[in-house]
Amino acid sequence: MPSDSAFAASLRRHAVFMAPRPATALPARFCVAVSAAAWSIAVLAARVPPFADSAALERLSLDEQRVWTQGNEVAQALARGGVVYEDAAATAYVQSVADRLFPEFKGHIQVSIVKSAQLNAFALPNGRIYINQGLLARFQNEAQLATLLGHEGTHFTNRHGYQSETSAKDSAAFGTLAGMVVPLLPQLVAVTSMYGFSREMETEADVQGFGRLKRAGYDVHEAPRVFEHLIADIKAQDIKEPFFFATHPKLVDRVDNMKKLSAGAAQGGAGTSSVDYTNTIMQVRVDNLELMLSMGRAKSALIMLSDPERRAELPPQADYYLGEAYRLRGQEGDVQLAEQAYTRAIEAAPEFAPSYRGLGVLRLKANHYADAQKYLDRYLELAPDAPDRKYVESYLKIARKKAGGQQ
Amino acid sequence: MTRTTALIFILACAGCAQTPSRIETASNDAPDKSYTVDLPVGWIKQASPNNKKLFASRNGFLLEVIAIANRPRKEAFPKTKKGADDGILPAELAELAIAEIKGEDQFTAALNVVENEPVEIAGHEGFRIRVSFKNARGLEIQRVVEAFTDKTGYYELAFQAPALYFFDTYYPDFQKAAASFRLASGSKSAGIPPHSVLVLTLAR
Repeated sequence: MPSDSAFAASLRRHAVFMAPRPATALPARFCVAVSAAAWSIAVLAARVPPFADSAALERLSLDEQRVWTQGNEVAQALARGGVVYEDAAATAYVQSVADRLFPEFKGHIQVSIVKSAQLNAFALPNGRIYINQGLLARFQNEAQLATLLGHEGTHFTNRHGYQSETSAKDSAAFGTLAGMVVPLLPQLVAVTSMYGFSREMETEADVQGFGRLKRAGYDVHEAPRVFEHLIADIKAQDIKEPFFFATHPKLVDRVDNMKKLSAGAAQGGAGTSSVDYTNTIMQVRVDNLELMLSMGRAKSALIMLSDPERRAELPPQADYYLGEAYRLRGQEGDVQLAEQAYTRAIEAAPEFAPSYRGLGVLRLKANHYADAQKYLDRYLELAPDAPDRKYVESYLKIARKKAGGQQ
Repeated sequence: MTRTTALIFILACAGCAQTPSRIETASNDAPDKSYTVDLPVGWIKQASPNNKKLFASRNGFLLEVIAIANRPRKEAFPKTKKGADDGILPAELAELAIAEIKGEDQFTAALNVVENEPVEIAGHEGFRIRVSFKNARGLEIQRVVEAFTDKTGYYELAFQAPALYFFDTYYPDFQKAAASFRLASGSKSAGIPPHSVLVLTLAR
């Protein structure tokens, strides 16, 4: 058991290493540190048996009921805070995959989608599972989604949240931690699954989740791809791998483990159709792209957009988003790439107004005023109620004035 | 107001706390003397230790707050690590400001843009955005940001308050402050008329 001062030092040290995303606010980062420290104590936890079936959920101890109540409070905070993605069809689809994996817990495991572009997901002790829209959008098929849900559901069935919480409570440090953590509970829980439990719990969730995947008839060879998506995102953002402690399994190791587990399995299985999956979560992908771009996360967006195969999974105006990603990235040569992408978008989806604005602004900045005027006029013609109309009108004023001067 | 968001907003603006003082006269100089602004008499004000931020409140910084910041252009958006580059258009500046707010936490990440339009601030082309988001208790928070950039830096005036009662009550005070904002006379670019900046930039 670390002393208070050593514990505080540990928090400070890990706070440096645990920024999951560059855009994460400092308090959230601090909270990650606190939560990670709390969960790490779970290594010392006395094991509690997994729930055998849904009947076991009716026999919770008072202590576990209290932990569930905390989970309910977090769920309510997320709902009230407007961060739950409201798409009934997509949510029902994700729920159906969870029910297929955990038929004995149907009605007790409830999955929601979160409005976040980060590639993350988490499970609360009460069976609530939250998957970020960024992760849902990045997956290529149902088998990959099932891999994630198998993992998260195992955290619930194996009572990892309860074990972690009670272990932390029993430690001398928890009294100090609780005061700091409780006000920030949503952030606390938001980082406790894909990256947040102890090494043993994560490994257990990987292995037993894989077993669920196999029993449900999914193609288990898709499982390693889940972690490869996470690795690709981390590389794109040029950030440190967000594992909390040296003991936490690294993503590359988890890919290897998944490959080992699936090595002996027969080829084939359900859930590999990218077409079916794409049709179901198309709107999630579009919304996620817009969210990523609005947050300036062009490099992450380019992971999907620069791959023609992934782009083909998007609506015809996908090249517009590619153009936006290049424009926002702003590296050498990106202006040309953006122009090309906007032009392709106009060809593929001539009624999609934003492509004209994108091209018009680039032409304006390149002093091609007649072109700029043409594209910006077309933009306002197609989108007369555009929220940025006043900006575009000011650009048109300049373009007209300058175009007149060029003639 | 959401505790986390308010703390982020205020501490990010203020840095470590300095002693707040009552605003005795409307006209106030920036802590670093780079601008002047009229603030509501009777409110309290506080500057950051580096003198780059100033904020004011009537009922407490966790309720309603006016925050005025100036930063070097290259460090205009610290969370997203973006700068206000040469040739940036007001709409692009607004886009970066929205990304910066979305980067604060999971609640602001889900914000709605209520208003986004070009405005003139202290004789410079800039933008005004108004965003709305909820906190963990479901309380709607609104924030308005008006900002512009010139050769001397990136200047941002912001106002945040719960939509319930506080925003509408004190927004006019912010509007008066924003309308009164002037760069110090020693500023190299002060007085450049609107549109000229944009036209000159585009003509490069």
